[in-house]
Amino acid sequence: MATHFEQELENVTIKVFKMADLAIEAVTKSVEALKTSDMNLAKKVIEQDTALDTLEKEIDEECIRILVTRQPAAVFLRLVLVILKSNTDLERIGDLSSNIAKECIRLSGKPTMKALVDIPRMASIAVEMIKDAFAAISEKDADRAREVIKRDDEIDELNLQVYRELFSYMIENPYTVSQALGLIMVAKSLERIGDHVTNIAERSIYYIEGKDIRHGAEQ
Amino acid sequence: MNEKIRVDNLTFYYGDKPAIKNISLSVRENSVLALIGPSGCGKSTFIRCLNRMNDIIPNTRTEGDILIDNESITGNRYDITGLRRRVGMVFQKSNPFPKSIYENIAYGLKINGLKNRYEIESIVEQSLKSTALWDEVKDRLNESAMGLSGGQQQRLCIARTIAVKPEIILMDEPASALDPISTQKIEELIQDLKAKYTIVIVTHNMQQAARVSDYTAFFYIGDLIELNSTDVIFTKPDLEMTENYITGKFG
Repeated sequence: MATHFEQELENVTIKVFKMADLAIEAVTKSVEALKTSDMNLAKKVIEQDTALDTLEKEIDEECIRILVTRQPAAVFLRLVLVILKSNTDLERIGDLSSNIAKECIRLSGKPTMKALVDIPRMASIAVEMIKDAFAAISEKDADRAREVIKRDDEIDELNLQVYRELFSYMIENPYTVSQALGLIMVAKSLERIGDHVTNIAERSIYYIEGKDIRHGAEQ
Repeated sequence: MNEKIRVDNLTFYYGDKPAIKNISLSVRENSVLALIGPSGCGKSTFIRCLNRMNDIIPNTRTEGDILIDNESITGNRYDITGLRRRVGMVFQKSNPFPKSIYENIAYGLKINGLKNRYEIESIVEQSLKSTALWDEVKDRLNESAMGLSGGQQQRLCIARTIAVKPEIILMDEPASALDPISTQKIEELIQDLKAKYTIVIVTHNMQQAARVSDYTAFFYIGDLIELNSTDVIFTKPDLEMTENYITGKFG
């Protein structure tokens, strides 16, 4: 039977997984709104960001309480730390999705310069990365977390590709500058989301193996 | 840093029953080693071997060797009084002599042959200062030590221990009967004392081990399961058994 302490850890873990689900929803919907010029969906993404903000605070408070009252050690300490820090990354992913949604609203009414291909691809990779990072935590599968970290390169590559492409559009036709800059911002936001998921994956390895692999420590 | 204590294949028997089994470890000079483990795991037996306090218990036997500064302390002819001067001990329950505060510290100096009154007074003052007790007792040195609070009595016992200038201090749950503020003072003291002494402390309070020690050894039913730097033990111990103990999963 789980102790009260284990129950507390489970409760806060469930919350951070719920936050991950909300973050996935935010990324997916913000890019979907952009793709289909759906203003209502974009507004919804912005509204729902407060749910992530609220959860962030709740999780912080619960982790602080666990640290103070339980003084966790070893694997429990590492779990609390991975939750506490991933929490911030997930909240930032929510903010970045909100920025994408705001950009979508700003671009509304303007003629679409091209069908969006790479940006939705970036979003779907980011979403898979979030899913895999949290699967790695729940299954204590460090190899899976390492795969997540590798996938960040794909997003970075696509970001550069989007930038190059939009840059050429801007040179050819100055009227596209406003829209192209907006899409560059969107791609940059998705690239940042990839970085936040990478942070989560790196920390999940710390949780599973006790190793700090940040900043190329494993290369 | 130098190796201060080395224990080689130490087994200690109460009658036929081994209380600690084949323990080998070393303790660096000017470091704090914490011993953790459930009751009956042999922690206290182990530290009592280090100043041969177990010798006074009948029907006991020691195998293996203990070296301090590379010199064995286990032989029959070894000067045990000299050993206990080098290896001081502080117990769970403070045990001041039923004498004045001053005499509690001066006594050890006198039986060690010190006669010069000024020298004795100076050491009494230094010892009380280094245990942060001086300001609290300087105006009542001739009052009975029994009138001090539990925390003050324990610090007096530590002052008494360090007055005879030991090299090693053994502490068997020195703060387990004290309130949080006295405990904090003792823990602060341990951190200060390691500049001059090598300390081995038994504690049931895991956070205390994490706070005060450089190395932590986990004992279980007479075996040394894991000895590692305290940081490693409390963040990522090598063995699952250690992890289970420090996370309270032990059953």
